[in-house]
Amino acid sequence: MPPSQAALVSLSPAELSYLRSTLLQVPPIRLDHTKGPKDFRSMRAEYDVLPGANGSARIALEDGLEALVGVKAEVEKSQWRPTPAGRASRLSVAAGDVEMKDGDEEDDGQGKGQVSWVEMSVEIPGFRDDDALPVFLASMLTESLLSSGELKDRLYINSRFHWKLYIDILLLSPALSYPLALLSMTTHLALLTSRLPALKSEKDEDPLFDDDWDASVPLYPKEKGKGTGSKPVDRPPVIVLAMAIGQNIIFDPCKEELAVADAVLAIACSSSKTSSTGSRIISIRTIDPPSHLTPPGVPNSMNSATGGVAPASSADALTQRELLATSGVWTPPRGGMKRGLIGQVVKMVVETGGVAEEVIDALQAIEVG
Amino acid sequence: MEYFSLKRSSALDQGQTNLSSKVYVRSTKSGKVQKIVRELYLRRDIPCSSSLCRACLEIAPTDYSKKVAPFVLSDTPAGSKNFPNGQYLVPDTNAFLTGMDLFEVETAFHDVVVLQTVLEEVKNQSLPLYHRLIALTKNEGKRFYVFFNEFRQETYVIRNAGETINDRNDRAVRKAVLWYNHHLSEAVAARSKKQQRIPSVVMITDDRDNLQKAKSDGIPALSLSEFVSGLENADELLDMISAAQERREVRSSKAEVFYPEYFTMSKMMTGVKAGTLHQGIFNVSPYNYLEGSIHVPAFDKSLLILGRENSNRAVSGDVVVVEVLPKDQWKAPSTKIIEEETLNKNDNPEVEDGEDVISERERRALQEEVKRVHGQSAEGRPQPTARVVGIIKRNWRQYVGHIDRDSVRSTSKSSRQQQMVFLVPMDKRIPKIRIRTRQAGELLGQRVLATIDSWERDSRYPVGHFVRSLGELESKGAETEALLLEWDVQYRPFPKIVLDCLPPEGHEWKVPASLDDPGWRGRKDLRDLLVCSIDPPGCVDIDDALHARKLPNGNFEVGVHIADVSHFVKPNNAMDKEASQRGTTVYLVDKRIDMLPMLLGTDLCSLKPYVERYAFTVLWEITTNADIVSVDFTKSVIRSREAFSYEQAQIRIDDESQQDGLTNGMRTLMMLSKKLRQKRYDAGALNLASPEVKVQTESETSDPVDVQTKRLLDTNSLVEEFMLLANISVAGKNYEAFPQTALLRRHGAPPKTNFEELGNQLKVKKGLEIRTDSSKALADSLDTCVDHKEPFFNTLVRIMATRCMMSAEYFCAGSQAYPEFRHYGLASEIYTHFTSPIRRYADLEAHRQLAAAIDYEPLDPSLHSKAKLEGICKNINMRHRNAQMAGRASIEYYVGQALKGKDIKEEGFIMKIFSNGFVVFVPRFGVESLIRLRDLATPEPEAEFDAENYVLKVKGDINRSVELFEKVTVRITDEIEESTGKRKVKLTLV
Repeated sequence: MPPSQAALVSLSPAELSYLRSTLLQVPPIRLDHTKGPKDFRSMRAEYDVLPGANGSARIALEDGLEALVGVKAEVEKSQWRPTPAGRASRLSVAAGDVEMKDGDEEDDGQGKGQVSWVEMSVEIPGFRDDDALPVFLASMLTESLLSSGELKDRLYINSRFHWKLYIDILLLSPALSYPLALLSMTTHLALLTSRLPALKSEKDEDPLFDDDWDASVPLYPKEKGKGTGSKPVDRPPVIVLAMAIGQNIIFDPCKEELAVADAVLAIACSSSKTSSTGSRIISIRTIDPPSHLTPPGVPNSMNSATGGVAPASSADALTQRELLATSGVWTPPRGGMKRGLIGQVVKMVVETGGVAEEVIDALQAIEVG
Repeated sequence: MEYFSLKRSSALDQGQTNLSSKVYVRSTKSGKVQKIVRELYLRRDIPCSSSLCRACLEIAPTDYSKKVAPFVLSDTPAGSKNFPNGQYLVPDTNAFLTGMDLFEVETAFHDVVVLQTVLEEVKNQSLPLYHRLIALTKNEGKRFYVFFNEFRQETYVIRNAGETINDRNDRAVRKAVLWYNHHLSEAVAARSKKQQRIPSVVMITDDRDNLQKAKSDGIPALSLSEFVSGLENADELLDMISAAQERREVRSSKAEVFYPEYFTMSKMMTGVKAGTLHQGIFNVSPYNYLEGSIHVPAFDKSLLILGRENSNRAVSGDVVVVEVLPKDQWKAPSTKIIEEETLNKNDNPEVEDGEDVISERERRALQEEVKRVHGQSAEGRPQPTARVVGIIKRNWRQYVGHIDRDSVRSTSKSSRQQQMVFLVPMDKRIPKIRIRTRQAGELLGQRVLATIDSWERDSRYPVGHFVRSLGELESKGAETEALLLEWDVQYRPFPKIVLDCLPPEGHEWKVPASLDDPGWRGRKDLRDLLVCSIDPPGCVDIDDALHARKLPNGNFEVGVHIADVSHFVKPNNAMDKEASQRGTTVYLVDKRIDMLPMLLGTDLCSLKPYVERYAFTVLWEITTNADIVSVDFTKSVIRSREAFSYEQAQIRIDDESQQDGLTNGMRTLMMLSKKLRQKRYDAGALNLASPEVKVQTESETSDPVDVQTKRLLDTNSLVEEFMLLANISVAGKNYEAFPQTALLRRHGAPPKTNFEELGNQLKVKKGLEIRTDSSKALADSLDTCVDHKEPFFNTLVRIMATRCMMSAEYFCAGSQAYPEFRHYGLASEIYTHFTSPIRRYADLEAHRQLAAAIDYEPLDPSLHSKAKLEGICKNINMRHRNAQMAGRASIEYYVGQALKGKDIKEEGFIMKIFSNGFVVFVPRFGVESLIRLRDLATPEPEAEFDAENYVLKVKGDINRSVELFEKVTVRITDEIEESTGKRKVKLTLV
């Protein structure tokens, strides 16, 4: 689904062509020439900005894009669910909905979480809440959050109660560029700093909580001391945006760069479960780049005003353009992404010291520092 | 990029800012859990309130009249050994929790700074103590000042990372003390260069850690006991420190526990919601201290709680949560009298090891119970029993009792050794209280007031502390005060603020002569009516007066005139609040504790003869058949022609030679009242009986001389009948005007099960039947319960039937459906109290509502609020019951005194029969008393108890059988009941 009109840039075909050719250089020269292909736009971040929320964060990018996320948790009564004995019937009903791990049912909520326990709303100025962009962004963010199942399991209190998490994402600035990565990072930071009141009651009792906020527990438990290196602490996922242009891969593209991209990938990843370094992919989605909608330049050969011959039919025009693809006249890129290129992107993201780890660690560092 | 933060206050500029915040989690009733952030605005103008300080006086905030609240703390506070320059005390939370009784002592503990931190903690820990503390801060003589340290910038402390709330609060207290000390030395320095006397501000705490830290910071601090030891009557004061605290420390080493642990609050709440656990008020049987019962909403009948282990440290009156026991543990209620004193005589309060929750004797008593139950037919079928699993709310109050002589080791008065003794409460349902005292010798033989502090799992009896001594056992003052305290009757003189609400003219107040006076607005002039009042002899608070006259159409006009108290007591002023607190006037044999100040009750409101008084009048037009034609309500002015006693009135009516208007009016009233009465009985009103006796006292010393049963004259029922009529008429009018908020009185139909026992007893013993389908059926069947050989039998049955009834209660119309309004005993659809506003608060409220209903004056908003009225109803219901109890207890005491040293033989009837004793009722003195088998002979004779036929066959030398309803002759002597220290009538079978 293409990002809607706001992401459109008003660049002339000649400008687009120029931009594309600089980005095709090896190494690419980005619009902000000080940045390398893996460099993110600089940002300001802070957390706990909303005192009344369980967790909150705000990130402002250098280009003026700014997002605010608040996380609120409420205790909710769980709907009756069949006991393990009645599991078979449940499988047929809810198949494909929840992960069907039949793991040992311990009382830590393993596998007991439900998708409906997390509710997310994205608000972008100038958009209605049922417009394509906010809905699409929300579903992408929710999907990545819930895919691992750890978050929703953490919301389990007992068989009768659970936390319901409301994640409210607000883009404070106009959607100058595609905001997915920003929203994801802000959400990540907000969740990372979210705290839930400490439970005092036991087992299936009506939940009773410690009234001391300082005693509250983080939604994503922190690593305690040193000795826990074997089991890395879970952190919320983060989505990074990568675009391909020719053979070049550029992370965190800005609005103009997106306008000339061959393909755009949204890669949701979280820290690796098995080792303390590196990370793992949760999902990959291709995003239709705005470049597909840019107006093509008209080459002299096809322009009657410059002595060319206007094509007779649109099929004709297409063939002619195909031939002129490398001539420097701007043609909106078509087609997808090569498998090798995707592999390369994935590698750059997940490898030790890769983009994902860097981002996640950087966000973690905000909280620690 | 311009950087700005959304945060209001970041950690950087803390200290300069006057803004801070407090974060906590709030769980609401509906189950929501919220994070609450409260912003705190720190200020610098909160005064220290010391009269030494001038700076604070200048900056202190002013009220609307530009006045600064007067400074509380004295400029020359009392000093002590350690602090000769005088001291202000700053107690921490625990000091108040453990020593509240100390702080209330008049002679010590002046100039106390109550920190906001402490006040809030006290509030969280114990609401009753909080209210007492607030009352202290209002007491001007004590000079308690609440310092809002959390709002003053200099004394506000931020919670450090990882610091517990308690530690933070302790630090806040220390900081406040430190600040006070600095502040005072500055203040004194600013006052004069020469002055050297700077009072110390001393922290009082029992927290060792806190003391330590204070010492290292150079803050003056003392423990509560250290401080008290330096005072004059230290021994007495030290006894008043709550035992709960110190025990906790001592206890840690011991592991032995006697009682099961309570469930967690959340577990109980879950269980109660799910219906697996039940919540209710724990009640202990007055006959058997090991048998408790609890009424829970889920079941019609109460659940039994048997034995100490099952009652698990609950004290009668506590709100507890219980769990129903498995069926094999169900039991029938006891038919045996079990009294604590007989079973646990040998307990030693000092020894704690080797204690069993159930002593060997108790265990044996329980076993016998079980045996009895097992060999039983359907009659005494086992009832569900339950076990206390947790306490929702302790309703511990102060208990009056006496020190158990056997528990005192050394009785020497000079010995100041601290020892543990047992306090035996007057209320038999309360367990013995273990108290630690240094004055055991002095307290022996005294009525002592004590409270319970705690009841730990490893202590068989609750632990409490001494509050004060009321005086010698059996002295009139001590016993009267004791029963007032036991029944929670407010008997202190009216405070000044209440007396300020009285009319300034005092006794000189008169009905204004001019009819143009605002007092006459809306009032009918009924001064020419021949009104008189009929009351018990010596009555000074005359609530009601009556008149009747013939109308030209042959009907009668009857008027009931009630003292217009609502004219003098305006809603929501101090006097009204005091009255609503007291709820009712309490009548004791020799004393009356008024609801309203004397001036109103016995003079201005009282419808005294020969003077004009404001009244609230109900006027009926009644036919000669006593049918009501019309009713009218009005405020009025009357002049009573005469105040009769019942007897005088009776004589005057019976005297044919008296033919004046007043007497004829009374005759008319008499004639009508008899017809009204008959109508009421026809409708099914009950004629119930309760044993009423009157104690005659010597007029000067008010020593009891004789006991008489009350005689009822026709004039009694004359007054009663018209009062009922007035109440019913007013109830109808008020309900019509205020269908939601009318204050009414109802008497519920008794559940059938209440009469099961009595019905069965009558069937088995006398072949009589009692029907309870309606009040009419009950009234009729009660009439048939006659034994021709024994005229008193019918009264006896009525007395017993009365005990099966529900108690009548005040309620707010909106809280019940109309059919529930019914007054069962009076067989009236609707009823309220209107006729005694001098002595009952409910009547006063009814007056206000009626006044609004007839558009005399607008209704006060408080009477529009259902919630408020329900609160008032709850209180006056309780006060009413307590007043009755106190009155009865007073009569009981005086009957005991009157019979002191006497030895009389009287007739009695057996009312209740147990397997090891029976209850005899003596109509002559209105006393009932227990005769135990062991009272009959020593050693206790064997007896065979036939529960189905209510016969107890005593074997051995006595060899006679006793059965229910039997008339017996008893010998009446008096004795001091060991368990309660009360002088009581002792009956023995002749």
